[in-house]
Amino acid sequence: MNTLTMLWVFPLVGAIACLCIDRLGRAAAKWTALVFAIVYAYLAGAAVFRGAISVPGSPLAFGISYNLAADGLSLSLIALTGFLTLICVAASWELDVSGAYWANFLALAAALTGVFLARDLFLFYVFWEATLIPMFFIIGIWGSDNRRHAAMKFFLFTFAGSVFMLLGLIALVIAKHAQTATWSWDMAALNGAPLGAAGPWIFLSLLFGFGVKIPVVPLHTWLPDAHTEAPAAGSVMLAGVMLKMGLYGLLRVALPLFPFYAETWAPWIAGIAALGTVYGALCAMAQTDLKRMIAYSSIAHLGFCLLGIASATAQGLVGGSLQMINHGITTGALFLLIGFLYERTHRRGLTDFGDLATRAPWLTFFFGFSIFASIGLPGLNGFIGEFMCLSGIARSSIPLLNLPVYLVAGALGVTLAAAYALPAYQSVFWAPPQAGSVSSRVHDLNMREKGIMWVLCALMLWIGLAPSTMLNLLGPALKELIR
Amino acid sequence: MNALAPQAALAAGVFAALGLGVMRRPSALVVRVLTLAVPVIALLLMRQLLPSATGLLIVADVKGLCWQLVIVAAALPLAALLPGDDVEAALFLGSLLGMSLLAVSGNLLMMFLSLEFMSLPAYLLVARAGTGSGERRLEAAVKYFFAGALAGAFFLLGLALYYAHSRSLTFTDQPLGFQGQAGLALMAVAALFKIGAVPLHWWLPDVYEAASPEVAGFLSTAMKSAAVLFLMRVTALAPMPVFAVALPWIGAITALIGSLLALRQQRLQRLLAYSSLAHAGLLVLGVGAWQALGRDPAAASSLLFYLGVYALLSNGAFIFLRASGVETRADLRGYAVRQPGLAAAFAVLLAALAGIPPTGGFVAKLLILWQALRAQAAIPAILAAVSALISLGYYLGLVRDAYFEEPSGPAPRTGDSWARIAVLACAIGAVVLGAAPLFLNGFTGRIWR
Repeated sequence: MNTLTMLWVFPLVGAIACLCIDRLGRAAAKWTALVFAIVYAYLAGAAVFRGAISVPGSPLAFGISYNLAADGLSLSLIALTGFLTLICVAASWELDVSGAYWANFLALAAALTGVFLARDLFLFYVFWEATLIPMFFIIGIWGSDNRRHAAMKFFLFTFAGSVFMLLGLIALVIAKHAQTATWSWDMAALNGAPLGAAGPWIFLSLLFGFGVKIPVVPLHTWLPDAHTEAPAAGSVMLAGVMLKMGLYGLLRVALPLFPFYAETWAPWIAGIAALGTVYGALCAMAQTDLKRMIAYSSIAHLGFCLLGIASATAQGLVGGSLQMINHGITTGALFLLIGFLYERTHRRGLTDFGDLATRAPWLTFFFGFSIFASIGLPGLNGFIGEFMCLSGIARSSIPLLNLPVYLVAGALGVTLAAAYALPAYQSVFWAPPQAGSVSSRVHDLNMREKGIMWVLCALMLWIGLAPSTMLNLLGPALKELIR
Repeated sequence: MNALAPQAALAAGVFAALGLGVMRRPSALVVRVLTLAVPVIALLLMRQLLPSATGLLIVADVKGLCWQLVIVAAALPLAALLPGDDVEAALFLGSLLGMSLLAVSGNLLMMFLSLEFMSLPAYLLVARAGTGSGERRLEAAVKYFFAGALAGAFFLLGLALYYAHSRSLTFTDQPLGFQGQAGLALMAVAALFKIGAVPLHWWLPDVYEAASPEVAGFLSTAMKSAAVLFLMRVTALAPMPVFAVALPWIGAITALIGSLLALRQQRLQRLLAYSSLAHAGLLVLGVGAWQALGRDPAAASSLLFYLGVYALLSNGAFIFLRASGVETRADLRGYAVRQPGLAAAFAVLLAALAGIPPTGGFVAKLLILWQALRAQAAIPAILAAVSALISLGYYLGLVRDAYFEEPSGPAPRTGDSWARIAVLACAIGAVVLGAAPLFLNGFTGRIWR
């Protein structure tokens, strides 16, 4: 078994182990999950240091080949998956849950790793869909009050996107077969297939599938429900890694396979992205539920990433991908902190608290740190990513794309982010408590929670101060993709 | 060995079952062993054969063998679950014999005979087999009988017209006049009747709901495979381009209507009946694509693979009803807490029926959609995808009922352990077939070249 196969099979073995060991008791399953999560995070991290690898694919039936490879983009997202999975296990440590809970998280990690490794469209699609199953159970079984509805909506929306994407992929394979008389699902082999009249439809189906997942604005309505109802760790995985799948698919499949459409349609894509940035921020402003606000802010942030990617410049692509990683860390931290609050009080409303700064100084500190990273304060990670996305758009040579409207929308998004996040922070942590406040039930973070937060905040600071490591990892891979 | 050895084994089984019935009181165990052993022997016989027998009535070749394989394998769950009654055993084996004769029939008369041979025992099986209220089953059997008789009448009328025009009971490459085309179309209608394509589906939900679950599984898998083969044989009789256009649309509409009607069902067996209708739609779409592609081997293999996978899924889902005693969606609430193992197997089967990877159901659906797109039937393929999306509403809804709801009311009475084993085996098979691309390298090339 080669290194790359190992990377996705290992967490799957962990998931099965957790299910089996569950009979011995919940503690045993929990420790098993921790061991597997630690080793998996180590494997994922070690893979980053080893650098890009690809192993020769082996052909299967129907023109499918088992073809895995990892470049800087895949590796950084796999490292993010491994890291956040470990964080999730640590953050859920005190929950009284069965082995199935841990198994679902490990299975999710396996499927996500597969998505980022696959270089064959069939494999890519199988892993892509397989991520839905564990998340469906995570939301549906361990979520909050409206979890059943949210789980169904999440699954149906994403499946709707991907079933049409599947038709597009099949049409792509058929178009290539008409040219070469061989069946192949291999991404590299499908490059430059002449598509004729079917071309725009195929590209549209891919955009639709990826767009639901990102999510872009008219297709986003599943996100607030899913993110709000999922358990804290589930929201972390959803926002931290699963939202990145759509952008990753765009980068890995749509751009290299359809450079022509990616360029001619770029103004539209960037327009939707800009719309998402502003609309998401405006929606976030209107929320009274802290978790829902962060969920809507994700739409705005992902719009920013898409803006950078649509520019098709090296800077925009790197900025967009870096912002994917940043958003994973920052929003992950915010969802965890809201989760800690919810565990203590079973409330999430903006007006349910007040004056937490005196009761829980550590919670206040970490929340503030993450909020500032999220709104793009210079020196923290969000700033670098947003800056590069905007400068990528400004430098784009694609006609219409260098119009100031995109820049204005981006700048508006940044401003609005401050306008919803800071008042929320203020009202929860600093304002005097209102009637019905549950602040008295909040106690400060314990050692475990503080440890998790220190690691996340250190990462935000590190990427903010020394982004070159991440940029050197992502840069070559993305330049290869748009070559 | 003769190419007809599997049929001979099945026929011997029928006679043995009838012979046991002549004895005053045949032991249930002996009958059960016979019911299970005969199909297994037939399967084993198929493994050894390299058939090449071609005669006036019989054409035993690789295609026929492959269909027999799928049909008999699809019948195994019912073989394992029949209660050991000699009459039921004879009916079951007789129906199976009819199906495997259909797979090797070389002309239209033989096809008609085997069609009746497989159908008549099935009507009685619906009426007889199983426990509980007999009146509903009797009503369903009568309905099934009339529908089947109607299909048979259509077929005979079509056959007469076709023969009058072409003087042929087999394939003809002469261009057909109106009369011959009408005959062909009538025969195709008979086949669509048997499959249950919309709007000829009215009998199907009632029959599947009233029959005992394992018999319904048998009807929706083995019988459906035979009916699909029947449709392929009939539409391949003479060149008639209208099939390539009409069948994908009929299939797509059947899939849509089946999944829409299933959405509202509360009784699980009826829900599964409509779901079976939706799958039949996809099969008809596949037959249409096969026609449009000039009877392409890859398309035929895709249909065969779909039927093979579906044999596991549908049998497993119906037998779950027997194994769990669950009748309505309300009974299913919180089932995962009551019976974790059985609920997990059912969830796997539902995911596979919905076509979610990494299950065999996904690969099967992918292959059919692939062939449909190759055949330029883009809009029917999109409609089929929409139907898959709608079907997710109930398949996933059942998983939600079982996993996300709290158990309420008394626990349903659970069935025998054989049924549980069958459900688990089907679920495992569904997952294993999801890895089909690993071990099916060259599958489409080898069959029906």
